[in-house]
Amino acid sequence: MTPDLSVAVGALKLRGPVLAASGTFGYGTEVPLLERRSLGAMVSKGIFLRPREGTAPPRIAETPGGMLNAIGLQGPGADALVRDYAPQWADWDFPVLVNINGESASEYGELAARLDGVPGIAGFEINISCPNVEQGGLYFGNDPRAAAAVTEAVRRRTKLPVWVKLTPMVSDIGVIARAVETAGADALCAINTFVGMSIDLNSYLPRLSFRTGGLSGPAIRPLAVHLAHQAARAVRIPVIGIGGIARAEDALEFLVAGCSAVQVGTATFVNPNAIAEVHDGISAFLESRGLTSLADLPRYLPRD
Amino acid sequence: MFVIGMHGPEIASTVRAGQFVNLGWSPGPLLRRPFSVYRSDGEHIEVVLNAVGTGTAQLLGMDIGEHVSCLGPLGRGFEIRPGIRTAVLISGGLGVAPMPLAARDARQAGAHVTWVHGARTAVELCSETEGDEVIWATDDGTEGSRGTVVAAAPQAEVVLACGPNRMLAAVAERWPEAQVAVETYMGCGTGVCLGCAVPLKRGGYDRACREGPVYRAADIDWGALPSHLSYAVTR
Repeated sequence: MTPDLSVAVGALKLRGPVLAASGTFGYGTEVPLLERRSLGAMVSKGIFLRPREGTAPPRIAETPGGMLNAIGLQGPGADALVRDYAPQWADWDFPVLVNINGESASEYGELAARLDGVPGIAGFEINISCPNVEQGGLYFGNDPRAAAAVTEAVRRRTKLPVWVKLTPMVSDIGVIARAVETAGADALCAINTFVGMSIDLNSYLPRLSFRTGGLSGPAIRPLAVHLAHQAARAVRIPVIGIGGIARAEDALEFLVAGCSAVQVGTATFVNPNAIAEVHDGISAFLESRGLTSLADLPRYLPRD
Repeated sequence: MFVIGMHGPEIASTVRAGQFVNLGWSPGPLLRRPFSVYRSDGEHIEVVLNAVGTGTAQLLGMDIGEHVSCLGPLGRGFEIRPGIRTAVLISGGLGVAPMPLAARDARQAGAHVTWVHGARTAVELCSETEGDEVIWATDDGTEGSRGTVVAAAPQAEVVLACGPNRMLAAVAERWPEAQVAVETYMGCGTGVCLGCAVPLKRGGYDRACREGPVYRAADIDWGALPSHLSYAVTR
């Protein structure tokens, strides 16, 4: 018998625990070859209220076991998203959440209000790794009060599920996790990319034109498992694990460490069918251990 | 310069000149590497590479019968309309890659094909040629004319070019309507990572892997396109 892999992330019921991470799956219309039967949900490419050009190339650089990216949240803006993509999502058999971004708490709220109630949009993932322009460019995600303010601004404008994607660039992820839980988040996504830099020894310059970029891929997996686990210990709401997942065993580490679901990102660049393979591998693992449901997977989550 | 061939009938039977494949191999780098399709016989495809990086050395070290994961054909290739009379293909270094297929298609379209091929020095020139006429150019004059391929190329109705971005920028100066295949860093090859951004004259960026890699030369903001790419050695 095929094990039951369905999960509930708050009020959202998903047919499987493997989700497509924001920025690695476009708007869901691009990636070829993926067997979508196993896709739990998709988080769309991050969007701002208004169109954004993105950063100058080079935008990516491969590093050992990973990649740096500085895309600069290139995107068409909310109106184009509603016009061009949401109508397609409305016909799909898995939920689509929109990754939302802003330069101020009120801009996040405005964006949520613009997208709330649009058919095809099942919820929001707040990217709090943006600079707060009103506060001198400090990142929302580094400051519990700013992170909570953004979460509240979105929460007030929608009844849809609100997830908050946490940055790893903090000294105590539990503090941020609790702050956004209190502010009304339905779930946490842990974690976003690490900030990194790589130097080209021919030019003596950074390899990315933006100087720094977000590090993703297998290189960050143990760091991500630890941070997702720390976040899960700190809150009662579900945590979705992200960071370097390419195979079922990687996803299972996050699930055992206390996550309710996972997102696959960079692996999709390499293997367009990675999500389906991770899903099938989890199923095979549960079967091999005599477990009939993902809910029966042993968890390592001692409470603080 | 090395050529490797792969059995891949699905790609070989549909690939167009200027399109590419994104190759992954084990053990290899994390990300796939894009290669223009060099030749195709309907059953097999070939790609060309230099033995510069660790990754390409791994590819060259493979034995016959080993498997490479090959995603493609990807991107938008050259547009070669039937009825053209003359075509000039301009390539520099590894920019030879899309030219045999371009030569085939241009000849099928009825064109007299001149291939102008350049490199820094004679030993870096590709020894295989296609087309009705071949013109060599080397920076040091060790083979063919001394100087750039752009200076060595004759006039033609259609100009197709591939090579270092600096060479393509010179092509764009002389032939704004030329079709050029650009070189960029590439992440996914399928349009989702937005890593292969190409700056456009009209503003903004699009994706070499989807809207490109072939562009009308005049459409690119050449000053904003990185002119030299050195692929990372990751181990």
